[in-house]
Amino acid sequence: MPRIHCALLCALLAGAAQAHQGAHDVSGAVAETNGPSSPHGDHGVAAAWSDHPMLLLAGGDRGEVAFRLSGFNADHVTVFAPGGAPDRLEVDYPVENGQVRIQPAAPMMGNYHWAQAREEQDGAVRVASTVQYFSNPGDAPTALLTRLRSELEIVPHPLPREHSQYRESEKWAFLVRWKGAPLAAHALRLDTEYGSHSTAYTDDQGIATVVLPRDFGVPKAAPGKAVAHGRERAGFVLSTSHVEEGRTYLTAFNYTYAPESQRSRSIAWGAAFGLLGMVAAVPLLRRKENENG
Amino acid sequence: MAEAMKSLFPTMSRVRLWVQIVMLFVTVWGASVVGHYSAEKISDALPALSCAYDTQNGGYCVLVPLQHQVHHRVGTALVKAQEVTLKVLLPLAMTMLTFLAFFFVLGKAFCGWVCPLGTLQELVQRVGRRFGLPLHAVAADKLGRVRPVKWLMLLGLVLLLPLLTGMGVTAHEFGNPYCDVCPSRLATTLLTGNTEEIALKTQSPLAFAIGALGNTLFGFIAVGALAIRQPFCRICPMLALNAVFRHASLARLVKRQHDKCEKCGICTKACPMDITEIHTEHGRKAYHDDCTLCGRCAEFCPDDDVIQVKLGPFALFRSSRDYYKKRMTGEMPDGTVKPVRIVRKSPQGGA
Ligand code: SF4
Ligand code: SF4
Ligand code: SF4
Repeated sequence: MPRIHCALLCALLAGAAQAHQGAHDVSGAVAETNGPSSPHGDHGVAAAWSDHPMLLLAGGDRGEVAFRLSGFNADHVTVFAPGGAPDRLEVDYPVENGQVRIQPAAPMMGNYHWAQAREEQDGAVRVASTVQYFSNPGDAPTALLTRLRSELEIVPHPLPREHSQYRESEKWAFLVRWKGAPLAAHALRLDTEYGSHSTAYTDDQGIATVVLPRDFGVPKAAPGKAVAHGRERAGFVLSTSHVEEGRTYLTAFNYTYAPESQRSRSIAWGAAFGLLGMVAAVPLLRRKENENG
Repeated sequence: MAEAMKSLFPTMSRVRLWVQIVMLFVTVWGASVVGHYSAEKISDALPALSCAYDTQNGGYCVLVPLQHQVHHRVGTALVKAQEVTLKVLLPLAMTMLTFLAFFFVLGKAFCGWVCPLGTLQELVQRVGRRFGLPLHAVAADKLGRVRPVKWLMLLGLVLLLPLLTGMGVTAHEFGNPYCDVCPSRLATTLLTGNTEEIALKTQSPLAFAIGALGNTLFGFIAVGALAIRQPFCRICPMLALNAVFRHASLARLVKRQHDKCEKCGICTKACPMDITEIHTEHGRKAYHDDCTLCGRCAEFCPDDDVIQVKLGPFALFRSSRDYYKKRMTGEMPDGTVKPVRIVRKSPQGGA
């Protein structure tokens, strides 16, 4: 039996070397995905890859982050906090040179904050929205997401859990609502930094299910820097519009998604080493001469 | 009603089994009840291996924030030659206080009654007993070699390596090294139908090697638990962490001095952790580091009031001769189930 173990171990180790060579390299970058240690909300900082109004992350840390306004103009960005002091639940931050710096509701308070800005021009209302995860303890965004923030809204249903993220090939639900009421059979368009487009329609409850495309690695729609802290993310934007009393409302929600985990993992090797451990334990199942149990 | 309760919970072990099954649901699939977001979980500092990688769980184990805070806050602050200020230590203190708040009430019962990995190992062990597979107790002379491993796991994998990684001394793959080899991560994610964690990271040889080690350990424990009781618990860093604080908890094991113990030793045979001290010692020493507060020793102690499971001043369970006799009718102390006798009729029609 020990000889079988050695042979198995050698075979596995020899194969292990190959596994690294065969590992999928996502756009030449190391794609660290998922797991509680991942940071959050590293929005792609690319040139405009969509005309929709977007708030694109332009650096920062757990205490303060900067957003760049893309595809629209506004003089301030409103940040909605998930909890904290009442006067900090909704705070306006001024836009300077197309950028805004925002902070969590309290220095040691974190979790998801909602950032939003609007532009009104020629009878058209354009709203950009995104979320920022501040890596500190804070209230869950459940109540935050139910609060009304504008007429036409795209509400993640739910957001990725803290320490998690949107990823390629995953299905995620979004609620589209008008003045708080769900909009049924309404189109929700998805555009990604890698140039994919798709449209989903809401059901009776106003929920649209969006599949994030598996498009990492194709040339980007607008080449730019999307790698943050060695962990690749790309931007996506969801948009929807609605006409009421002659006014056109367009609302966008932009955030980031990460490569599918299986691009940088091997289930075959995982199973092989799991089996190796099982085989190593098999001798324990043979009865010893002096066994009393 | 009383009869129904009696048939449902005839022994303390049966009560514990039901609690364990309920807690297995809470710790593995509890998100459907407590909420989707981490902030809605029961706690992020539980004294049991309720895994943070399981996206459907109801609470997180304390080892994940410990590793992250030591890595990202303390280690990083040290390397920047900053003072380790209150701001750096506060989250760590909060984590430990949350842990202690839970631990204060249930103490080591988190291992014997709550931990999903503890429960899964016991369920596998029951299969082993049911099929009459051999049982390997860790002999008293080998215990000395096994017992320090849990402290090495706690100090090395949960505290030291993340600290050195935060300081830039060790590779970033050692950021949360215990989680990378933790069998609960694999067991609980597989139970939710998620195969991502069992798949090995292929980005770097080191990440691959650590993952391979974790998967091999998991495979060994999955099969080994058929023949060894609680094989992983014996080297689990949570067992060590819980041991540090065990005397601070209301829940504890109490054994009084008793003359007949010397010739008996059934308690050690009943102990899933092969603790010899429950037989040879009494008082504080009998409540050993390795105890999971499962209460089997008290159930199988054949004398009145020698071993008790207590919560503060209250005895939740005390050993008794009558209970022992009843308990022995269904199961041997080591967990072997008494065979069901099948009486075959002879062809002549006789018994
Ligand atoms: S991998 Fe283990 S130690 Fe890490 S969070 Fe999960 S259960 Fe806790
Ligand atoms: S010692 Fe066993 S029961 Fe306790 S936390 Fe570790 S695996 Fe779970
Ligand atoms: S000493 Fe008693 S309570 Fe502790 S693990 Fe052993 S049998 Fe269980």
